[in-house]
Formats: sequence, structure tokens, C-alpha cells
Amino acid sequence: MSSDKLLSVENLAVEFDTYGGTVQAVRDVSFAVDAGETLAVVGESGCGKSVTVQSVMGLIPMPPGRITSGTAKLRGRNILGNPIVGGEDIRGAEIGMIFQDPMTSLNPTMNIGDQIAETLEVHRGFTAKQAFNRAVELLEMVRIPEAAKRAKQYPFEFSGGMLQRAMIATAIACEPAVLIADEPTTALDVTIQAQILDLMNDLKRDTNMAIILITHDLGVVARMADEVAVMYAGQIVEKGAVDDVFYRSAHPYTLGLRAAMPVNDREAEHRLTPIDGSPPDLFHPPKGCGYCARCPAAMKVCNDVVPPEFAMSDTTDHFSRCFLQHPESSAVRLDGLYRKEVSA
Amino acid sequence: MAEQSFSADAFEPLHVEQHKQVLSRPSLSYWEDAWIRLKNNRRALISLYIVIALLAFTLIGPLVWQIDPSVQDLDQVSQPPWADRRATVVEPYTPWRGETLDSPGSGLRTAQPANTQAVRLIWDVDATAEGGYRIYRNIFPIGPEKAYGLPLGEQFSPDETWFEDRLDLKARGYYYTVVPLDARYQESGEGETLYVEVHNAITAQGAVKRGLIEDAAAVREGDAIKLALHPLGTDYLGRDLLSRLMHGARVSLFIGIVAPFLYVLLGVGYGATAGFLGSRADAVMMRFADFVVALPFLLFMILFKIMFGIGPGESGIMPMLIAMVILSWPATSRLVRGQILQIREEGYIGASRLLGAKTNYLVLRHMIPNTMGVILVTLTFAVPSAIFTEAFLSFIGMGVAPPTPSWGSMCNEGIKTMLSTPHELIFPALFISITVLAFNLLGDGLRDALDARMRSRE
Amino acid sequence: MWRYTAKRLIQGVITVWFIATATFAAMHMVPGDPLASEKAVSAEIRANLEAKYGLDKPVFQQYLIYLGNLARGDFGISFTQKNREVNDIIREHFPVSATLGLLAVTFAGLGGVLWGALTALYRNRLPDIIIMFLVILGISVPSFVVAAISQLGLVNLNNLLGFNVLPVGGWGTVSHMIVPALVLGLSTMAYLTRLMRSSMLEIINSDFVRTAKAKGLPPTRIFTKHQLRNAVLPVITVLGPAIAAITTGGFVVELVFAIPGLGRYFVEAVQQLDYTVIMGTTVFYGAFLVFMVIAVDVVYGLIDPRVRLD
Repeated sequence: MSSDKLLSVENLAVEFDTYGGTVQAVRDVSFAVDAGETLAVVGESGCGKSVTVQSVMGLIPMPPGRITSGTAKLRGRNILGNPIVGGEDIRGAEIGMIFQDPMTSLNPTMNIGDQIAETLEVHRGFTAKQAFNRAVELLEMVRIPEAAKRAKQYPFEFSGGMLQRAMIATAIACEPAVLIADEPTTALDVTIQAQILDLMNDLKRDTNMAIILITHDLGVVARMADEVAVMYAGQIVEKGAVDDVFYRSAHPYTLGLRAAMPVNDREAEHRLTPIDGSPPDLFHPPKGCGYCARCPAAMKVCNDVVPPEFAMSDTTDHFSRCFLQHPESSAVRLDGLYRKEVSA
Repeated sequence: MAEQSFSADAFEPLHVEQHKQVLSRPSLSYWEDAWIRLKNNRRALISLYIVIALLAFTLIGPLVWQIDPSVQDLDQVSQPPWADRRATVVEPYTPWRGETLDSPGSGLRTAQPANTQAVRLIWDVDATAEGGYRIYRNIFPIGPEKAYGLPLGEQFSPDETWFEDRLDLKARGYYYTVVPLDARYQESGEGETLYVEVHNAITAQGAVKRGLIEDAAAVREGDAIKLALHPLGTDYLGRDLLSRLMHGARVSLFIGIVAPFLYVLLGVGYGATAGFLGSRADAVMMRFADFVVALPFLLFMILFKIMFGIGPGESGIMPMLIAMVILSWPATSRLVRGQILQIREEGYIGASRLLGAKTNYLVLRHMIPNTMGVILVTLTFAVPSAIFTEAFLSFIGMGVAPPTPSWGSMCNEGIKTMLSTPHELIFPALFISITVLAFNLLGDGLRDALDARMRSRE
Repeated sequence: MWRYTAKRLIQGVITVWFIATATFAAMHMVPGDPLASEKAVSAEIRANLEAKYGLDKPVFQQYLIYLGNLARGDFGISFTQKNREVNDIIREHFPVSATLGLLAVTFAGLGGVLWGALTALYRNRLPDIIIMFLVILGISVPSFVVAAISQLGLVNLNNLLGFNVLPVGGWGTVSHMIVPALVLGLSTMAYLTRLMRSSMLEIINSDFVRTAKAKGLPPTRIFTKHQLRNAVLPVITVLGPAIAAITTGGFVVELVFAIPGLGRYFVEAVQQLDYTVIMGTTVFYGAFLVFMVIAVDVVYGLIDPRVRLD
């Protein structure tokens, strides 16, 4: 695998002990991202997207959480389970992170400027004054008007979009190599979403940082990502360059997601098709493919064996964990899977 | 990835009822769910049993243990439960004029076996004791501070080397000290101290009178008979503590349960009315509730009692109840009003209304079940605070007054003899504490079981 | 902030007026109206009372005179003792109660925050279990029992060691204050500990603490700047009622430890049916509590920026 990349995660598995039993939230997940690249991780709620990145950042409460296997390497150094490398915390310094709900993700009793500044004080050794001045500059950089005045205000005086900008300013304060954005636009209005995404793209271009973007919005993926990893039931079921995954989808789940997404095309007689059922219970993960129970093209093998990664071509990284890609499987036309009602 | 080999039909389509969603758990009603949660909360369940046991203690207890709480057992005053109940039958009391034993040099000693009828002391002549002797009694060892305790009396001649103590004797150990007096009757020199273990004694006639034996002729002097049983001992008037605790529980639990029930009811009515009326009426009603909250609670409890014309030292259970209801409802009303206002805005109420539900139906089907949990929890937490209030008022003598027992007034009486007979304070205090503890834990459990919004993170 | 404070103060004055009116009404509803009738008081006191309260005038005028006196800060004169003014009584005994109460509140507040934070950080481990057991005990045992038991313990301790470690009762030096203040603050501390614990647990799991961790801040900084400051807010909001609880709880502690405070004096006044002193001290206590609650709310506004702009 590509351990020479900026950040690479390999064979990550995370479990949670709950009253109901042990949940295998993440099962054998690997991905990598390079400077200037955006990797999007998509999937529905509860599929393990957030747990994956939070365990990389050491934000999983342990107990009940537990990382049972895997490595995460930043420039070749393992950071998993021990994000403090060489006496200095890489969190905030090397990897910045922004969260889904900016309204609750900022300290309500500390002014915005101080919240940005404290990262600089801790990681860069700035004095309080230097750090605050830099915080004002950062707020300007994320396009907050009257930054000097705004820095002295408290989160409740900001709107959601402005708070997310402030979050981004905090995350990039120390010019990290990687920015992890955990559903950064989910809680925001659509127009604000676009602004935030543009801002992230501009920052990536200017600073050449890597972005890991977690979302369940395929529209956001199309707009931002270079590479896409589709997660389902704690596993990456398909991964590849954004065009490969979108236009040469090789997993029924990816197709299902696409069919459930509205498209902006009046000509197409396209009906939104939901995926029936719900994700499997991860207390007892299925023996075979996690998607088997909901898959319209399921085969007997799917029920018994976890599908391996089938490479889709020799030249790209595109792979799919689906037995339909097995040479012995009868060639089911994947494209038609979710279009039955329309074609009939 | 190593190539695997699969069976021939591995790639056949899978035809099972794969798209059916199965309900993995049976559907439970709100109360069924709450009961299961409560049953799984061990602390709450034990508390529930304790509450039931306390109610049984109060209601059934006096039927089983039929001792009158106001009858005094003068043979056993302030006796702890572990006191020795054996009493020796003795002759009726005859006066004693002292005696001089001819074994000088053996110091302070008892002339006859010490019992609750009398303790008879003799000692050696002290030639320096020109003024005689002073005799003290203490229930504690004489420390370096020379605290001899209670002065019992004097002998004004150096030759009068005897003393008889008949003062309120209990079956326990006493430290007697004899101090010589000089010519001016000032204490001179060190006292001599003797530890005396006093045993119960009873005359045959006395035993018959107390109903301990049938016939005075059946026992002889020196026989041992058992005094009346007091499982938790007796108080300073010789009254049975267990019986008093049972009767006291009636007062304490009556106030503790009825008062909260009434004021929670009043609060629910007031709060629900305010919440329904809304706007101006709501604002006025809630402002009034704010005023009532601002009244200093305990001071007004006392003020109300005076207002009812009940002076200190007189019992007033009803006025206490009324005062508690008048002063305590606002907290519940505020809570219920908040709930009603919140529920009114909930989507499901709108949906129900859209489907044509009438106000009555909305109230019965949605509003009441959804506030019931909060009300029940409030009620449970109100019980301990009402019990505390009763105990507090009775303790400062402004609640239930003697002879009516209540746990608070029993504590008040017990604290006076706390140093010598702590059990008189400890038992009622224990009952208050256990009751309050049980209701608090039960309240915690109910809150966790009934209301997700109030659920504590534990 | 100033507007908020002013608004609260005006509300407070109205509330005190309500308390005074309720007290006045309660006293005139006493059967036989002791203020109007010639109850067992000497002629001299009677004359003083009449002059002070206008007892020969109609009730409504009496009410106005009473309010007028209160507005001037005059809480009245004694019903049973000659030449004794309620203001003198307050001046003499209230500082004692206030000192005791202040110590108890400080102890309860600091203890509650400390133990609450500790139990939350050690959640479900031994320190948490032990402290929460003691907390439940502290909430369930009435203050007079704690007072009596601690006094009993003190007596035995002094006897055992053969000298007075701490005095068993009385007032005057710091050593007299320690045990009563601890006893007085105990149940409030237990309550605050519980509150602080649940508030702290909520904060520990909050999004912004996760953000602080993601920023790579050292744990001590996260604890002081992010967790403690936010977790303490609900504790501050209940300090007003806590002060009220401690003030009235003081009655018992003053009684048990023989402390010459206003609470003990009030209980004595009640036992002697000194109506005017009861009236005066009730209104005084009421006003004191109302303004303490306002003071706590204003302090809260200083700490929580969200309240400031109200």
C-alpha cells in the first residue's frame, strides 16, 4: 500500500463496548491521502466514517472504545493511539479538524479570538497578544468581516456559517498538513454550504494541505474530492478516483446511493429510489458481505464470505468489495439495479 | 488477496425474504418500558422495597407491636436496646444508716451488691477530712480535668464514711468519687474513685404490678426475672422507642406523603391552567408564583403556625400541612407550565390536531401522559423534603409537640440526652435518614426510567 | 449589564414589598390579633408599640405606617422586651449568622465544585463511588442530626485526647466556627457535588471539549479553561437557593452549638411569641434572601457571556 503518502491508515479496526455488547464500528479500513489531495469518505449514518477519523485523531473515548488493530502514519510515523509524537501533540499542529455542528463545537464561554489563539500559544509558543493578533488575521483569511471586533465576541453572537469559518480558522491556525472535516456543512444552509466548501478548496490550493472530507452528500463529494471511499457497515466497500467511483461504480451500494440522489437534469425521467432496509446490526456483523441483505443482486456466496477487494483496473486504485466483480460471477448489469421502476 | 475456490452454485442469485424488515423487539408502552428500566435499576428497586417496608412498619407495625407509645416503664428509663433485662428480685427497700466494716485500708467499696434500688458505698476514715466528704457520680471515666460529675451529697463528719445513692439509678456503670472536705468544707486533696456496675433490681410486688409475674409468692429473693421487652430501648420517660417510632412514622409519613401530594396537585392545576391560558393570564399567574417562591419558606411555616393560633409547644399537624401546601406549590406549577407550553408546540400535537383531535383528546392522550412522568418524579423528590421540613420544625419545637411522637420531635427529645443515651437520638434519626434516602434513590430511578429529558448521566 | 442589574433590583424591591405585606397580613390574621389586643405586655411597651405601629388607627393606616417604617429601614420594636429594637437585635446577632453562613457557603461551594469535578473525572471508579456514597448520605441525614453527631464526636474526641481540640459550642474565635460551618454547609455541599458531577459529565462529553482535544491542548488547560468554567455555571445558578437553605439551616446549627446568631434569636422570639420581632426578622430575612439571589444572578451574568445582553 501507499505508506509513502502524507497520511496513510492501514487495516484499522475499532470496537466499542456497550451494554448491548461489543460493536465492531470499524472493520479493516485502509486509506491514504497526499498533500494537495482531497479524499472524501461517504456513507450513511452509523457506517463508521466519523469513528474512523476520530480514532486517527485519538478522540475516541477509551473505554468504551478500543482500537483493535491497524496503523495510522503521518509522514511514516505511527500516530495511532498515541497522537503525541516527540513530546508535541500533532493534533492541532499537524492535523486540524473541524466538526459537524459549529454551534456546539465551540466553547460558549470563551471569545472566538481566544479559542483560535490558544492553539497558537500551545503549539507555536506565541504570547497571548501575538496569538490574538494572528487569530484576527486568520478570521480575515476565512472571510469574516470586521475580524478585529468579531474576535472579541462569543460563539452565541455568531451565525452557524460564521462559526464554521471560525472553526476552520482554528483548525488551520498552525498550518497543518492535513485537515479533517467531519461533515462540515451538514448543519448549515445550502448557500452557506457552498461558501464553506469554496473556502476549503481555496485554502487547500493556497497551502497545499491534504483534506479528508467526511460527508453523506454526494454533491459535496463531486464538488470537492479527488478520491472517494464509500463506507458501509464499518468497511470501505468501494474506493477510487472520483470519476471512477461516480461513473464506473462497481458496488451495488454506490449505485444505490447514486439512485437515491437527486440530479439536476429535467430530461432524465429519474425517480429517487431509496435503498430498502437498514444497515446491519454491528453487534453481530454479518458473516458475509454487509450489504447482502439489502442488495438486489445478492448471490449465495455473498451471505457466507466477506468479499475481498477486487481491483477494477491495473492502472488505477479503483477497487470494489463485491462478488459481482469476481470473474466467476454471472455478469449482472449493475447499471440497471436501481432503475427497474423507471424502465418498466 | 489469495484466490478462493467456491462451490458451483456460489454465484446463483440469493432468493430469501431478504428485504423484509423484522422488528427485533416487541413494542412496549411508555409505562411498560419505564417499569423495565426501573426493575433493572437495583438501587431504585431496593429503595422501592424499603418504602414499602416503611409503609408496612407504619400501618401494620402498631397491630403487631401493641405497646402504648405513651406508657412509661419506670424500671427501664433511657435503656438502650442492648441493656441487660435481667432483674434480681429484692426485698422492698429499707433505710440504711451506714455500717462500719472492720477491714480498714481496703478503700472505697460497695457495702452491698449495687442495684437500681440503691448503691451503698463505704470507705476508710480520712483523718484530714475535718469537714467530712463530698460524693460525686459520673457516667464517664474521670479524666485529667478531674470532672467528677454530678455532686450527690455530703457527709459532714470524718467518721461518717458511708453514702447511699438512690438517685435515678440505671442499670449501667457509674464512676463514684469521694472527695475529703477541710474544716471550711472546701474540697481538699484528691478524691478516690470507684467504678460500680449497677444491676436491675425489682421487688416481687413491683413485678406483679408490672405484669411480669403472676404471683408474688412464686419468686424468692435473689431470683432473676426478665423485665419487659423494648426491642429498641426506651426514652427518657421510659416509653417504648419502637412503639413511638411506629406511631411517630404516622405523623412523619402522613405529612411527608400527603403534603407533597396535595401541593403537587395544586401546582399541576395552577401550572396547567397558566400554560393553557397562555399570554397575559399566564404572565400574571406566574408572576404571583414567583412572589410565593420568594417567601422565606421555613420562616413562613412558623408564621403560619402562629397565624393559626398555635403557640410553641402545641401540636399542629393540620396547620403544618396547610402551610406546606400554600408555600410549596409554585415549583411544581412552574415545571408543569413549562411542560405544557413545550408539549403544545410539539409536532405530534400539531399532527394530532390536523387529524381532527379535539382538545379533550389532546389533553387526555398526549398532554397528561407526557407530563405524568415529570409529575411523578417531582412527587417522589417532594417527599424527602417534606419529611425534612416536618423534622426540622418539630426539632426546633415548632412542629409536632409532645406527647404526640413524630420522628422530628423524638430527635428533639433525644438530643437532650445525647451524651449519656445516644440511642434515643440515633433511632429516630436513622428512620428519617433511611426514609429520605429511599425516596431520593427512588426518585433518581424514576427520573431515569420515566423521562429521557431529565435522565441523569450516571 | 447595568440595565439587567437595575431591572432585577426593581423586581427585588417589589418582591420584598410582597413579603412584607404577606407578613403583615399573617400577623393580623393571628386569632385575637395580638397586636391590637391588650395581651400580656407592660403599659410602657404598649405605649411604645402604639406609637411605633399606630395601633390605635385603622388596619390600613397601620399597614402604611408599617411600610413607611420598613422603607426607612426600621424593622420595629420588641413586643415583650422593653426598649429593644429589632434593628439592634439584627445589628447584634446578624453578623454572627452572616459569618457562619458565609463560611458554610464558601465551604459548600468550593467543596461541591471540587468533589463534583473529581467524581466526574473518576466516573464509576473507586473515588467516585466513595464520594457519591457520602454525598447520598449527606443529602439524606438531617442537619440537626449531623450537628448532634458531630458534637457528640467532638465531646468524645476531647475526652479521649484529654484536651479540647475544638470547642463543643459557643462563639468568638475561629476555632468555634469550624465545626458549625462544616455541619451547616454539608448538605448543600452534597447537593452541589451531585449537580457539579452531572454537569461536568455533560461537559466532558460535549462537542467543544472534543474540539479542544482535537486542537491538541494539554489536559490541564482543557480542564481549567474549557471544562471547569462551563461545568460550574449550573452550580452558580443554584447558589441563590443554596444560600437560602444555609441561612435557615443556620437556625438549627446555632441552636445546637449555642451560637448567638439571629437564627437562634428568631427561634427564641417564636417561643416567646414576640410578634413584632418575628415580623421584623421575617421581613429582614426575606429581603436578605431576595437580594442575595439577585447578587448571585448578577455574578452569573459576569461569568456567562450569554446572559449579559439580556
